[in-house]
Amino acid sequence: MKIAVCAKQIPDPAVEITYSEGSIVRPEEQVLDDTDRYGIEVALQLKEKFDAEVTIISMGPSGTQKGLQQALQMGADKAIFVDDDSLKGANSLMTANVLSEMAKSLSADIVIFGTESTDGYSGTVPQQVSRYLDLECISYVKAIEVDNDVTLTRQTVEGSEKLNMPDKCVISVTAGGVEPRYPNFKDIMAAKSKPIEQVSLGDLNMSSNQNLEFIDIENVENSKSGEKIIDEGEAYQEIVNKLKELKVI
Amino acid sequence: MKTLIIGELINNNLSSGTLEILSKATSLNLDAQVITVGIDENPSIGLDNCKQTYLKRKSDSLNLSKAVSKISEIIENEDISLILGSSTYMCRDIIAGLSVDLNSSPVSNVIDFIIESGNVSTVNSINGGESLYKTKINSDQALLLIRPKAFDPIEVNFNDNYETIDLDSSDLEVFDIFIEEKSGPQLEDSKVVISAGRGMVEKENLELIETLALKLNAAIGGTRAIVDAGWMPYSQQVGQTGKTVKPDVYIACGISGATQHQVGMKDSKFVIAINKDEEAPIFQLADLGIVGDTLSVIPKLNENI
Repeated sequence: MKIAVCAKQIPDPAVEITYSEGSIVRPEEQVLDDTDRYGIEVALQLKEKFDAEVTIISMGPSGTQKGLQQALQMGADKAIFVDDDSLKGANSLMTANVLSEMAKSLSADIVIFGTESTDGYSGTVPQQVSRYLDLECISYVKAIEVDNDVTLTRQTVEGSEKLNMPDKCVISVTAGGVEPRYPNFKDIMAAKSKPIEQVSLGDLNMSSNQNLEFIDIENVENSKSGEKIIDEGEAYQEIVNKLKELKVI
Repeated sequence: MKTLIIGELINNNLSSGTLEILSKATSLNLDAQVITVGIDENPSIGLDNCKQTYLKRKSDSLNLSKAVSKISEIIENEDISLILGSSTYMCRDIIAGLSVDLNSSPVSNVIDFIIESGNVSTVNSINGGESLYKTKINSDQALLLIRPKAFDPIEVNFNDNYETIDLDSSDLEVFDIFIEEKSGPQLEDSKVVISAGRGMVEKENLELIETLALKLNAAIGGTRAIVDAGWMPYSQQVGQTGKTVKPDVYIACGISGATQHQVGMKDSKFVIAINKDEEAPIFQLADLGIVGDTLSVIPKLNENI
């Protein structure tokens, strides 16, 4: 079994995102998107049971490769990435096109994603990749039971439903779906010798299509008063008064 | 502009997200039709002034790929240039699939759109609502995923006049369907929402929120952090990856106000925030901010309401 897990390097989420010409400004050092840890965890559980090979696939400015290292520390076998200036500000469809060509080049059976990145959060790339690869997409997986068969529970609008994982498919995993493992010191050291390979856009058979054009970013006036009261034991009264005024009570 | 709205069913009715988009399409005088995808039997979804088609899925198969192929065919045959859907699990899956078939990248999390001389432009909210990001779509077909609550829903009468198309099964068999029991006020339509964050310290303290919610007839939500921690089901998550709420009163308890959370609640009419940290970003969105320990403020509210 060959598994490709898509992982994205993103700016430190504790720092507010800034934009230049409509694209997110990306520092040299980016970190692994926490959302992707859930997908990696699912891949590693499959690896343990079926002796699968797990490859991280990633697109975007590679910088110090810290995020890729973090993915390898969790236990993935290797990583490949595409870093090409022409992909700056790539829309979700182009991103999916590149990632699906990468998955194809690996002959991946199972392609795993988080549900959406923390910085761009379009939330469509897993399904787009499945369509490019002509595979079914099992989206919003929130639980996995690995036995001889693999049972996936997916989130639906009204609750959940269970399916058996087929031999080939695309999966997206929701945050909180599984418990991502923390690497120990040995894992961190071992990751340093794992291969990270760059592939060029030319190696992949893809067509560029930027149908979305950035117009501008406009700041919105904050209409909130921002009134702050320091609680010295009686501040609850302010809330009670306000709820009365608003006719909630 | 020839427009297709992807409709969704909740409890045998058209979802509020669908009705919100229909309202916007009507106000722009778009030449719109609805294609609703669902598994319910004979839902009452026919519309007086708008063509409705029902793509009926199999309940025992995850066959959204079949729905995508059918909708792609209709879009090509009928020369449709604008495709709209709500940012829900199902519509995201469908519009993502369509975007590959039509070779046109979708725009996600749209809060408004404009049509000028045949071109579609979209507006997104970024940086927790502090800025608006505008995009022009240059392809023949524009695909938009619209955030719930972006528009007010249309009021319409429903009839039983629509065509039903049965979709084939895929290879993915669904064998255990669980419908989450819903009791009490629901996040989407409750006038008061109380949400909990990390500042509640531990799961047992959510009882304080439950007591207050009963008194105020409020729905209960939570941040991604506490949903990930297993304190609440995913269906109660408010934020970018969860639900969007727009109540008359939103009470944020022990929530710092990360962008991820702000996206889901910033349009609430009146926001009350309680947080120990005076610098917490949630206070920028608050009409009334209490700098204090949620765990001491809420019990006093419970005693005095």
